Amino acid sequence: MNAGVAYRDGATPVARPGAVVRIRDLGIRLSPDYAVLIERFDLMPGEAVVLDSGSGTGKSTVLGLISAAIRPTPFGGESTHVLLGVAVGPGIARLSYAGPGQIGYVLQTNPLVPYLTVGENIRLPSRLAGAHIDAEWQDHVIGVLGLGALLARRPDQVSVGQRQRAAVARAMLARPRLLLLDEPVSALDPENADQVEGLIRHLAEDAGSAVILASHQAHRGAFRQTARVAHRLERDGEGRSRSIFATAARERGQAA
Amino acid sequence: MRLALTLSLRDLGHDWRATFCFLAALMGVLAPLLVLFALKNGIIQNMVTSLVDDPSNRELIAEGAARYPAEFFQALQQNPDVGFVSPSTRSINTTVSALRHRDARALERNVSVIPTGAGDPLIAGEVPEPGAVYLSESLAEALSAEPGDTIEMFVDRELSGQRETARRDMTVSGIVGKQLYGRDAAFLSLPDLLAVELYRDDRAISADTWTEPRPAPPYYPSFRLYARDLEVLPKLRSELAAMGVRARPRAQNVELLLALRTNLNILFLAVAGLACAGFWFAMAANLRAMTETRRVTYSLLGLLGSPLGQRRLIPLMQAVILVQGGIALTLLAVLPTIAGINAYFSDPGGNAVAQLGLVHVAATLAIGLVTSLTASGWALSAVGGIGMDEVLTHAA
Repeated sequence: MNAGVAYRDGATPVARPGAVVRIRDLGIRLSPDYAVLIERFDLMPGEAVVLDSGSGTGKSTVLGLISAAIRPTPFGGESTHVLLGVAVGPGIARLSYAGPGQIGYVLQTNPLVPYLTVGENIRLPSRLAGAHIDAEWQDHVIGVLGLGALLARRPDQVSVGQRQRAAVARAMLARPRLLLLDEPVSALDPENADQVEGLIRHLAEDAGSAVILASHQAHRGAFRQTARVAHRLERDGEGRSRSIFATAARERGQAA
Repeated sequence: MRLALTLSLRDLGHDWRATFCFLAALMGVLAPLLVLFALKNGIIQNMVTSLVDDPSNRELIAEGAARYPAEFFQALQQNPDVGFVSPSTRSINTTVSALRHRDARALERNVSVIPTGAGDPLIAGEVPEPGAVYLSESLAEALSAEPGDTIEMFVDRELSGQRETARRDMTVSGIVGKQLYGRDAAFLSLPDLLAVELYRDDRAISADTWTEPRPAPPYYPSFRLYARDLEVLPKLRSELAAMGVRARPRAQNVELLLALRTNLNILFLAVAGLACAGFWFAMAANLRAMTETRRVTYSLLGLLGSPLGQRRLIPLMQAVILVQGGIALTLLAVLPTIAGINAYFSDPGGNAVAQLGLVHVAATLAIGLVTSLTASGWALSAVGGIGMDEVLTHAA
């Protein structure tokens, strides 16, 4: 794997231990007068950060850009997008940087494949990647999330909260090095939301995953103490807006 | 491949109502077409064949009497357009005085005798040697004669007011069916026919010696002639005319018969082609619509790491499964229907009214495979247009 490999701007690999995510000036123009830009994003193994900017500012878009699920728009300048040591770009196989052991993704609407059982959905990313499933870890994840009795059911036979936990199990099954959480508990009542967030945090720590959480209710729950990603809105003289995200600047050498 | 197949099958099973509707629509198009095709292969083909391929329609009848030398017949036998030719002794049929089946105590008088030989389209089996005879079905019934029986042939002549009769035993070699020759007649070898004529005309030949072999005459007054097939009949007639030989086809409307077969083939091809085209477009649209209702799932599969090729395999496999399954179900419904049609209706020729053979089933499956592979192209293209970002932004 590419663990422990970092890259300079310009995607030239430099053997330096560290970053799970390293991004500079990566963004997308969503409309002629609105763009979302990741100015700087550095994330180290096991680290967690929260995107808690207001609704409509592009938190989900940032997660999509980080995971390369959304294709960025060229902004004229040079951009850097390195995930787990792989410089992401055209022609790079997605499974080389976004396989189940690299990125786990929990989406706001917790979509599952409707014609597979909960158990099959949980194992699907590993099957797609042809990856080995650690049975002991699988039992641990399923046990922690309380899904043992639901594995044979289809998604339409479980509740919204149970689907959400199944989506978390799917993301965590291969111990991903990066866990992306897009409003993972927004559909749950506050009590359940706190409980599920706690479970996610617990599993992520067990797996050693770095976490990026996009949430508008992170002021409470398991991530209330977690570092925030800075956000600002810039408007130019022609009325065009840019929603800009940036993690805190680091000491040189921490995430080169 | 295996995972794509699993996903394809699970999807079809989960959305079983849509799958059922697809199969029902396919059966609705295919079942009538297959029944129509079976009828075309059965009774319609048999009717057309009996009309177009009836040997009598290929016969050219010599007009008037003439003198045809052996070279004339040799040239015709080497002509690829000729199916059968035999010299004949008169412009109208020769008759024998009587045929009698002694065992059955049956006798028929003034029976027409017709020369036959190798390649005669009316004779199915070995060509009769001297002493053997084929009987038309009506004559065989009248004489109660069957193949292998012995019948007596009588030939009368009058010399100076004195009536003399020659006779000989003839072995019945076979029967010429009613559909090939509808009147009473006996089909003889050319030497036997010549013996009948010579006995009548030559007083030097006695009733004791009339069956002995004699040299062939230098000329014959007529002939029996059949074209190889109906298509070359007009050409053969023109060739004869160029040689100064007048002959007319027994069939009055050769062009009409030829057009009937051609037009029927065109008609069935057009019906089948239009049905296939309609089916192709319906299937392409159905598969495209199925893809549309599964956009989020395809997007999710992409996000979870399924390569585009694998995602495209899903609608492709579903198309093949649906079409081949639909054809199998259609056959399960159509084959008993065809059996019922054949049991209820009877073809005059004894053939099946509706026919659907293994070749036709294999061809249907092959056409179905090609159709499903090509018709899924639109759906495959649509899957390629579904981005991973759709699942990020879709509302539950």
